[in-house]
Amino acid sequence: MGVLADVYEMLNTCNKCGGCHTACKTYKLTGSEEMSTRGRIQLIKAVADGKLEPNQEYEDAIMSCLLCGECAVTCPNGVHGNELVMAARRDLKLRKGIKPFVKSFALNTLASPKRLGMGFRLFGGMGKSVLNKIDGLDYFRGIDIRNFPTAKKPFLEQVPQKITVQHPKHKVGFYVGCFLNHSLDQTAHSVVKVLTKNDCEVIIPKDQVCCGLPQYCYGDFETAKRNARKTIDTFLDKYSDAEVVLSACGSCVAMLRHDYLKLFADEPSYLPKVKSFCEKVVEFSEYMAKIGVDQSKLHNSTPLTVTYHDPCHMVRGLKVTTQPRQLLQMVPRVEYKEMFEANRCCGAAGLIQAFYHEVSTDITDQKTQNIKDTNADLVATSCPACMLRLQGGINKAGQKQKVMHVADVMANAYED
Amino acid sequence: MLSQAVVKRLKEIVGERNVVTDKVGLLTYGYDGTLLSGEALGVVSPQTTEQVVEIVKLMNEHDIKLVPRGAGTNESGGTIPSEKSVVISFTKMTKIHEIDTENFVAVVEPGVINFDLQVELAKKNFYFPPDPSSFKASTIGGNLGECSGGPKCFKYGVTRDYMLGLEVVLPNGKVIQTGGRNFQSEPGYDLTRIIVGSEGILGLVTKVFVRILPIPRAKKTMLALYDKVEDASQTVADIVAAGIIPTTLELMDNLLINTTEDFTHAGLPRDAGAVLIIEVDGYPEDMDGQVKTIGEIASKIAKEFKVAQTAVEVDQIWTSRRSAFGSVARVRPSYGVNDITVPRSNFPKAIEGVLKVAKDFGVTIGVVAHAGDGNLHPLILFDQRNKEETETVHAAEQALCMMALDLDGTISGEHGIGLVKKKYLDKEFTPAAMEAFRKIKRSFDPSNRFNPGKIIDL
Repeated sequence: MGVLADVYEMLNTCNKCGGCHTACKTYKLTGSEEMSTRGRIQLIKAVADGKLEPNQEYEDAIMSCLLCGECAVTCPNGVHGNELVMAARRDLKLRKGIKPFVKSFALNTLASPKRLGMGFRLFGGMGKSVLNKIDGLDYFRGIDIRNFPTAKKPFLEQVPQKITVQHPKHKVGFYVGCFLNHSLDQTAHSVVKVLTKNDCEVIIPKDQVCCGLPQYCYGDFETAKRNARKTIDTFLDKYSDAEVVLSACGSCVAMLRHDYLKLFADEPSYLPKVKSFCEKVVEFSEYMAKIGVDQSKLHNSTPLTVTYHDPCHMVRGLKVTTQPRQLLQMVPRVEYKEMFEANRCCGAAGLIQAFYHEVSTDITDQKTQNIKDTNADLVATSCPACMLRLQGGINKAGQKQKVMHVADVMANAYED
Repeated sequence: MLSQAVVKRLKEIVGERNVVTDKVGLLTYGYDGTLLSGEALGVVSPQTTEQVVEIVKLMNEHDIKLVPRGAGTNESGGTIPSEKSVVISFTKMTKIHEIDTENFVAVVEPGVINFDLQVELAKKNFYFPPDPSSFKASTIGGNLGECSGGPKCFKYGVTRDYMLGLEVVLPNGKVIQTGGRNFQSEPGYDLTRIIVGSEGILGLVTKVFVRILPIPRAKKTMLALYDKVEDASQTVADIVAAGIIPTTLELMDNLLINTTEDFTHAGLPRDAGAVLIIEVDGYPEDMDGQVKTIGEIASKIAKEFKVAQTAVEVDQIWTSRRSAFGSVARVRPSYGVNDITVPRSNFPKAIEGVLKVAKDFGVTIGVVAHAGDGNLHPLILFDQRNKEETETVHAAEQALCMMALDLDGTISGEHGIGLVKKKYLDKEFTPAAMEAFRKIKRSFDPSNRFNPGKIIDL
C-alpha cells in the first residue's frame, strides 16, 4: 500500500458530505460521481483498503482530475482532494509506470531540453505545414493547434546570459520555463523589458531545464527530482548573485517554491539547500508589486477593457490574486472588469486537455462565455498554459478577445 | 449482474455514456452522506421524461428494482442501493425550463442543483426559500424527495410548502401531473404533498413546479453568544414566546464553533459555549425595531449580542453554519447525524436531553440546531473502525429518538427516514398508522420496485 498508507487518515477524514461537488468542474460538467472529488477519494480509499484493483476506469478517474485545488479550499474538513489524487497517481506510477506510452513520451520529452527544443522546431516547421494541408484539422481535441505559437529560436538562444541596466537596484535570476522559452518567447521578452525598465539587472542561465511539474503531477518523482536538483544547483551555485529567482509562469513558481519542499522531504541532507532556494523564488506580478513600479513611465493612448483570469497555481497555489490586477490597472486608460468565476480552471490543466478533451473543452467553453460576458477587449493572465488554452477557446468560439500575459500588457505601455 | 440484453437496451434508451456497469462507476454510486453503502447492478442517467418512462418499463419487464438518486448528499441512506437494484441518477436532468416572475413559479428538472437555481433566480431578484446546508451540491429532486428544510424554515417553511406541482413517472410507467402553476387549489387528493418527502418510493419526479419569492429588500444578521448551550435555548424559547418570527434562528455549540472556525476563520469566539445566529428580513424600515426587540430579549441571558456590519461578515457566518456537518471529521472521522424535532416550547428540554444522552453514554455530541423549528441535529462523533464504539453510538442514537418522542417530538424533521431511521418509525406511529403507510405504498407500487426497503418494509 505504501504511498496510500501515508495519506490514509486524510482519505478516512472525507465523510462524504458532498460539499466538494460544487468545487469540482469535472463533476459539474459531467454529472458523474466518479468524476467528482468525493468519488475519486472513495475510489482511492477502496484501492487502499484492497477492495478495488486499479483498472482502466480507476486510472481515468484519477488522471482526469484537473488538480485545480478548488476542492481543498471548499472542504470543511480540510481534506485536500488534489493531494490525494497526487498520491494515487504516485501509487499508480509505482505499480505499473506511466501509461499510455504517448503520455510517458510527452513527459520525458518535456524533461529533456534537447528533445523538447527539437520537438517544438519540428512542430513549428514541418508539422504546421502538414497540418495546414489537412482540411478540418483546426482543432485537435479542442486545442487550437494551427495557431499554436512556436518560437523560431528558443528564447534562451535569443538573449545574452546577463542583461544589464544603467543603475541596477536589483539582481533578478529569470527562470524562463518551457512554454516561454519555446512557444511564447515574446512574453519572455516582455518580462525582461518590464524588469529592466524598473532597474533590474536580469540573469538568464542558459542551462536551465523544465521545473519537473508535469512529471511530478503524474507520479514520476524520480525525473522531477532530477530536474529539480539541476534547477536548484544552477541558480544557487552557478548564479548565486541573483537575489531572487523569478518566473512568469504561476505553475512553475508553485512547483519551485512549494512542491520542491515536498519532493525532497525524504532527503534531509539536501533539504536545507532546497529551503534556501524556495525562499528566493518569486512570481512576476508578486515581485513587481513588491519592488514598486514607476507608474509615470507607463503610457497608453487607446482605451482598453481588460479582465483577468486567475490560473489555478496562482490563486490556490501561491495565493497571488491582487497584485496582477493592481499592475493591470496601473496602465493608463485601462478599464478593469472582473469576470464570473475568474478563479476557476480554464480547462488546460497540463495534459488533461489532450487526454480528457471532452470535459476540458466544456470547461473552456464556460470560461470563454464568462470572458465574453465582460465585454473585455483583452484577457490578461499569469500562466502560459492558460494563455494558450484561453486563446484557443476564444478563437474556437469565434470571439475577438486577445489573451496576453500581465507582463505583455505592461511591456506594451513602455516607450522604447 | 445485469444481462447483456438489459444493458444493451438501457444504452439504446439513454446513450452509451449514460449507463454505468463497471466496478469503479458502481462503487461511486453505492454511498451517500451516511456511513452506509451498497452496490447497484447498474447506474442509468436519463435526460428526458420519455427516457425515464422507457427505463421504468424495461425494469418492469425484467423485474428489476430502481433507486432514484440526486447528488447523494442525504443523511438518511435514502439513495443506498440496499437491494438488487439499478440506480437511476437524475444529475443529468439539469434544465431550468422557465422562470415565471409574474406568477412566482419556476419550472425545473429534478437534477437542477438548488444553488444553481438560486443563482439564476437572483438575476431576476427572486429566490427559492428552502436552502438545506447542502444546497450548493444537492438537487431540487433530492430536496423534494427528503422534504428538506434549511435555516429559513422557521419563517418560510420547508420544501413541501414550495412545491406547486410535479410531473411524476409512476411505477407502472404512466406519467401524471399533480398540481401545476396555480396556488392553493389542488382538486381531489393533494398528491403533490404525498409525493414530496416520499423518498422516491411512490414515483419518479421528472419535472417540478416550484414556488419562488422576491428577495426581501432588507435583512439583518445578529449573533448572540452564550456561556452554556442551555442558556441559548432559553433565548430561543423567549423569542418565540414574544411572538417574533425571525427568518432564521440557528444554534451551534462550542464543539461546532471550533470545528467550523478551523475551516472558515469567521471570528466566532472559540470559548463561547454556544452561539445563536439570528436573521430577520423584510422592509428596511422594519429592521431596526426587530433588531432592538431581539437584542433586548437575547441580552437578558447572552454574554454578548452583536449585529453583523458587513456583507462579508454575514457570508462568513453562514459559511460557518453551512459547513457544520462537513467540518466535524476534524475531531473524529465518523459521525451519526440525528434529526430530532420537538415542539418549540420544549426546545430547552430537548437540549438538556441531548446533554444527558452524551453523559450517560460517554459519547461526544456536537449540537447544531434549527432552533426556531425545534429541529436539532446532535452529531455523535466517533470512529467507524471501532466496533464497540459504533455500537454505543447506535444505542445513544436510539436514546435521542426516544427522548424526542417523549417530548411530543418526531424522529426526523427534514432528513427523511431512508434506511437509517426506519427502525424507529414504529415507535412514533401506531400499528394502524404504519399499515396506512404500507397501503399507500402498495397502491402506487404493488410490486415494490421503487426504492425498496426505504421508510417502511412491506
